[in-house]
Amino acid sequence: MTLPVLICDDSLLARKQVRKSLPEFFDADIVTAENGMQALTILRSQEIGLVFLDLTMPELDGIGVLEAIKQEAMDCFVIVISADIQPEMQKRVTELGALAFIHKPVNPEKLVLILKQYGLI
Amino acid sequence: MRRVFSEEQLDCLQELINVAMGLASNKLARFLSTFVYLQVPSIALVSSAQVSPQFDNQYSGVDSALVSQGFLGNDGLTGEAIVLYQLDNAHRIATLLGYETDSASELEMLTDISSILTTTFLNSLAEQIDNSLSYSAPRVLSSRQENVAEALLDTVCHWDLALKVDISYQLIDHSFNCDMLLLIPGEAVLTIQQILVRILEEC
Repeated sequence: MTLPVLICDDSLLARKQVRKSLPEFFDADIVTAENGMQALTILRSQEIGLVFLDLTMPELDGIGVLEAIKQEAMDCFVIVISADIQPEMQKRVTELGALAFIHKPVNPEKLVLILKQYGLI
Repeated sequence: MRRVFSEEQLDCLQELINVAMGLASNKLARFLSTFVYLQVPSIALVSSAQVSPQFDNQYSGVDSALVSQGFLGNDGLTGEAIVLYQLDNAHRIATLLGYETDSASELEMLTDISSILTTTFLNSLAEQIDNSLSYSAPRVLSSRQENVAEALLDTVCHWDLALKVDISYQLIDHSFNCDMLLLIPGEAVLTIQQILVRILEEC
């Protein structure tokens, strides 16, 4: 079954890196967003099963997106992929409901491991 | 800026810097047992004449210090990482970290913090761009001893144009701020561009 996936990062390079890290057999329908506001527009208008979310972004940051997802009880998994790797930040995103936290630059093996862990592949 | 780097290259450079800055912030946060606000760094091409006035604007009238460290890598990559401090909050942090509060110990602490920030940042950058860097010994300058703006000018007067990256490390409890200035001069800017072209081809 195809999984609708949102990749949200203000960097084109980072979006490409995430896309490229996904295994070939991963059956995903991928849409992208360049900031948190765009991500919320997409999340409110279409079914998204999984979000890859950056934290440091213009307009609305990843924390803002996580808060909105929680508040509006949106039904999607979130994996945070961020350069901000401070333990306090990891704790915060986990408290806000993120499944996992991956350090940038994204490591494909780690990503696959997490997808497997949560039965997404 | 756009005339030298394409939008895609700038995006790529920004992301490389974000990752390096994230690692450096994490190290700083652990060292000071606090949380560092990550801000989007600014990247610009500047002439050496523009650097000193910027410093004057930010630091005029306050006691300040800078720790400057040169680096040299493969393919002609070279540059200078400068960490700038205001000394009034350095005093507070020195007490917190258990350094003596005389000015020599204060500068020793600033050198330690600079070393954490600079080497973490540059090692990450080097790893991401598949380069290896060697570092020169850090140079410490304090406005209590000399004119820092002039010293900064000495550092930068060897080139006409440089790639300048400004990164601000701000602690959540506002106990301490410092700014990192990364300068990659002249021909090395083209080295960076070639590196960006290669990374973009690979991804």
